Amino acid sequence: MELFLQQLPVVIGALNTGFIQTLKLFTVTLLGAFPLGLLIAFGSISKIKIISITTKFLIWVIRGTPLMIQLLIFYYFPGLVFQNPIWGGGEQGRFLAASLAFVVNYSCYFSEIYRGGIQSVPVGQQEAGLVLGMTKRQIFFHVTLLQMIKRIVPPISNEIITLVKDTALARIIALQEIIWAGQAFMKGSYGISGAIWPLFFTAFYYLIFNGIVTVMLAAFEKKLEYFR
Amino acid sequence: MKKFLLMLVLVLVTFLFGSFAFAESDFEYVKGKGVLVVGITDFAPMDYKNEKGEWIGFDADLAKAFAESLGVKIEFQEIEWDNKILELNGKNIDCVWNGMTLTAEVLASMECSKPYCNNAQVVVVPAKEAEKYKTLESLKDLTFAVENGSAGDQQAEAHKFKKTQVHDQASALMEVASGSSGGAIIDSLMAAAMVGEGTGYENLTYTVALNSEEYGVGFRKGSDMAEALNKFFEKGYADGSIQKLAETYKIQAALIK
Repeated sequence: MELFLQQLPVVIGALNTGFIQTLKLFTVTLLGAFPLGLLIAFGSISKIKIISITTKFLIWVIRGTPLMIQLLIFYYFPGLVFQNPIWGGGEQGRFLAASLAFVVNYSCYFSEIYRGGIQSVPVGQQEAGLVLGMTKRQIFFHVTLLQMIKRIVPPISNEIITLVKDTALARIIALQEIIWAGQAFMKGSYGISGAIWPLFFTAFYYLIFNGIVTVMLAAFEKKLEYFR
Repeated sequence: MKKFLLMLVLVLVTFLFGSFAFAESDFEYVKGKGVLVVGITDFAPMDYKNEKGEWIGFDADLAKAFAESLGVKIEFQEIEWDNKILELNGKNIDCVWNGMTLTAEVLASMECSKPYCNNAQVVVVPAKEAEKYKTLESLKDLTFAVENGSAGDQQAEAHKFKKTQVHDQASALMEVASGSSGGAIIDSLMAAAMVGEGTGYENLTYTVALNSEEYGVGFRKGSDMAEALNKFFEKGYADGSIQKLAETYKIQAALIK
């Protein structure tokens, strides 16, 4: 017990540092994937064949391969295949590569959810807009968008909560997120070696953070209720 | 489509064979960028963090001295051990210097320095069962946790032991501590530092040594850095500074003279 109390502050400090990295990756992914996903959704429902086919091909590749492999490809291929290690070896480069892989991966999933949301709005409303002389852009922003947002909140919430935990995958390219930080104590960090509990302790961080996310998303859903 | 396939094949071929021509020598490349990036994992007593979070250890201190002798800065980068060759060939790191056993695979895929440290693969078992497992014969019915692709993994293979491959040596120890595996096969230097009284694994101990092997430092295939390091080692042995460093980390018995 005494040993545990001695270790606790050191472990918490290291886990916090790791968790900040986790949160950074989480935030950057959401900020990037929300707009990029919408762009991809427009691509996949485009009337221009070449655009919709290319977009669907991209979605197929990204959703059809493991995120772990995508991380490895994004990080190692520039150096391995093109002899140009653009990311560099440091923590910064690893973070950028991981962010890119996560943004691309999540936008593809988001795009399909967006597409479902857009197509769930009855065509009659668009036709009514056209009759009233609205442009396509006006129809999207004033008629479709808000209804779409309301409908996609539950499936997007699912993805967001999954994302919190998926960030742990970035450790494959040695991004030092919280699980990495927890495992370090098994090997001997900061004068503590062979401590197993910090690894399992990381679960509380995820759990508490996901609790906060869930409450926030529920509040957001409630706010949208007035469209009923 | 044909073009795309052709490109895909080209990419895969480059990826698989990993044969790279250096425009300049690796030595000049490192000197030019002014920093030696050393790929490590957390591995006491070779590379580990002190209370302040700085990298120390026999390998870390030696690497610092080597970088100083080259007149370049040093940067330690933790890597995923399974990806060490990817990291090296992708030029994200310049060398792997982390108590690396010179296995046939390592020698084939990296340009290695002369061995500088002896090591062995030892069997770790719960202390209360140590009496039962003193001979090679007695190990036959145990299931061993080994780090995937490590020297311990190869020993388990060679002795036809039942094995479970895990992510790293520390996880192998956790397997034994939790009872999921009967034993583990890890580096003797690591076992000495991490198992037994005064460590996190007080209930474990190590018994049989399965082989003897050597540690070396790995550079990119064809690199002239390995030769530079060999010269640095020679000088360090001659003036006794390496022996002194080994004593600091209590591994002098394992040092190769």
